[in-house]
Amino acid sequence: MALMLKSKDKTVSTKTKEKAVSNERIKPKRYSIERKEARWGFVFTIPCLVFFAIFAFYPIIYAFITSLTDRRAISRTWSFSGLENYIYIFTKDNGGFPLSNSIRATLVFTLGTFIPMIIISLIVAVFLMQLRKNRQRAFFQFVYYTPAVLSSVVAATIWMILFDPRGLVNQFSNFVLGTSGVDYNWLVNSTMLQISTMLVYFWKYIGYFVILFITGLAAIPPTIYEAATVDGASRWKSFWRITLPLLKPTTVMVSIMAMLQCLKTFSTQYMFHQGGAARRPIDVITMNIYFTGIRNGRLGRACAMSIVLFCIMLILSYLQLAFTRSAEEVEY
Amino acid sequence: MQKFVGKVRISEILIWIFLIILTAFVVIPILFMVVASFMDAKQILAMPFSWIPSKKYFTSADRTFFTNFVKAIRGNNNQGTFPRNVLNSLIVALSCAATTVILASLCGYGLAKFKFRGRNFVFISIMATMMIPFEAIMIPLYMVTQGFHMINTYWGLIVPFMVSAFGVFQMRQYLLTFPSEYLDAARVDGLGEFRIFWRIVFPNCTPVIATLGILSFRNQWDNLLWPLLVAQSETMKTIPQYITKFAEEKLTDEGAMMAVAFLASIPMFILFFSLSRYFLGGAAVYESRKG
Repeated sequence: MALMLKSKDKTVSTKTKEKAVSNERIKPKRYSIERKEARWGFVFTIPCLVFFAIFAFYPIIYAFITSLTDRRAISRTWSFSGLENYIYIFTKDNGGFPLSNSIRATLVFTLGTFIPMIIISLIVAVFLMQLRKNRQRAFFQFVYYTPAVLSSVVAATIWMILFDPRGLVNQFSNFVLGTSGVDYNWLVNSTMLQISTMLVYFWKYIGYFVILFITGLAAIPPTIYEAATVDGASRWKSFWRITLPLLKPTTVMVSIMAMLQCLKTFSTQYMFHQGGAARRPIDVITMNIYFTGIRNGRLGRACAMSIVLFCIMLILSYLQLAFTRSAEEVEY
Repeated sequence: MQKFVGKVRISEILIWIFLIILTAFVVIPILFMVVASFMDAKQILAMPFSWIPSKKYFTSADRTFFTNFVKAIRGNNNQGTFPRNVLNSLIVALSCAATTVILASLCGYGLAKFKFRGRNFVFISIMATMMIPFEAIMIPLYMVTQGFHMINTYWGLIVPFMVSAFGVFQMRQYLLTFPSEYLDAARVDGLGEFRIFWRIVFPNCTPVIATLGILSFRNQWDNLLWPLLVAQSETMKTIPQYITKFAEEKLTDEGAMMAVAFLASIPMFILFFSLSRYFLGGAAVYESRKG
């Protein structure tokens, strides 16, 4: 014990010695400025760092630990159960709403939403760039963006009424398809229900993605198009040969962003379910987490699902980064 | 040459038709919401639908065009929590916007203008939190909030959204271009570091502050999932919860549902129409992420 103390003393004394030496070597004034700068840097960043430690890193670790336990909301005691939760969510049907169904619903929703969204918003953005006046473009951007400021709950409410058997959507479909009085079961038939949620999401976010594409398009210097026109390229050709290749980085990034956003969808599905639609066809992962963890109190299982969702999104985020890095090499 | 001009015109007409069809698709549901909130359920589901609210559809004689709004405000069983819930939403959204702006600019300033050991580590770990979706950590976050005894309080609703990694990133990117000479000049003049931040840096970030503040405000106004977990008593609930609850029980009263949706959208419409520049900028801001 005494020895330890002694050695500790020794290290301390050598440290102070070193400090003194370094103090002598470096100009004292410069040293203090650097130290001061470092201190203020810490002071400014510490609040955020603490925040993220408590509300981002700790929860994800906590989620992982909880996913290995049989924790429930109603009982205070819990014990480690290994991978039981993971085996449960992947093999059992979780009271009629298995995770496999949720993954299917999420993937169907994501693919069915973001692919049309990317294609149409790209087309719209290209069309808007063709307009002669900036004011016209600004007007359309403004209009297309309007649904995005409504909250998702409001959007879902409006569409729920539009999808009513006697609602506007059925009237419109009958008008377009030349049928009369046919009910297309928008909120009843499981396929139609999924299409309905996609339509709501598409409606809400189309303007947002149009603006992202316009930002990308505006970055392409007009001189390239001028050169192409001089060389005799048609608009069609310059779209395929110039716009698309140069827009590739934007497209890749926007599409992965859209994908991540679609994976997190909750409000539309929840609202439709509360409004009486069946849960199973639109039981996305987030909804399953909510029902399993909060309504049924199975915190362990919900955390296991959260970790699965986290892994899916991590892989896609990694793809986003990888693509962005390769995309940065494009130069105009 | 003449033919070429003609061709261009045709393509232009097609473009306009396409854009106008999309405009109709986007605008009609919003218009429907506004119009239908003045209608009786009978008229909303009439075939064919007429766009002008009319009294002849009213099922009861004492109905006026504003009955739906009265119902919306009274709520289920005349509990009258609507004003309180709007207030809650406003408090939460405004506090989150304010804290996001302040904390993000503090941190962004620290990361952009100060050299210290571990700066890159701090930056990368904050960026890494962007990879952690809220939906994946909401259950543990709920347990953490419970541990802090913040369930059913404003603290519980606000604290987990006080700042976003995206906000820090935006602020840092913006402040990297801020000339350091100003800061040095202020230091020479003897201004303290906090004063430099508050008097010089903060007022010069207005565009980013506006964009981030609006983004945060909108996200919280829209947030349904977290309040569903945390706000359990009627008086702590926020507007999205109110709408869900209302829709659940007033399912057949379409007019009242549209009225409540319309009322809930008014603050966002006001914000959007007056500050649309920052909304549209806020969407474009994502694009500069790679910069």
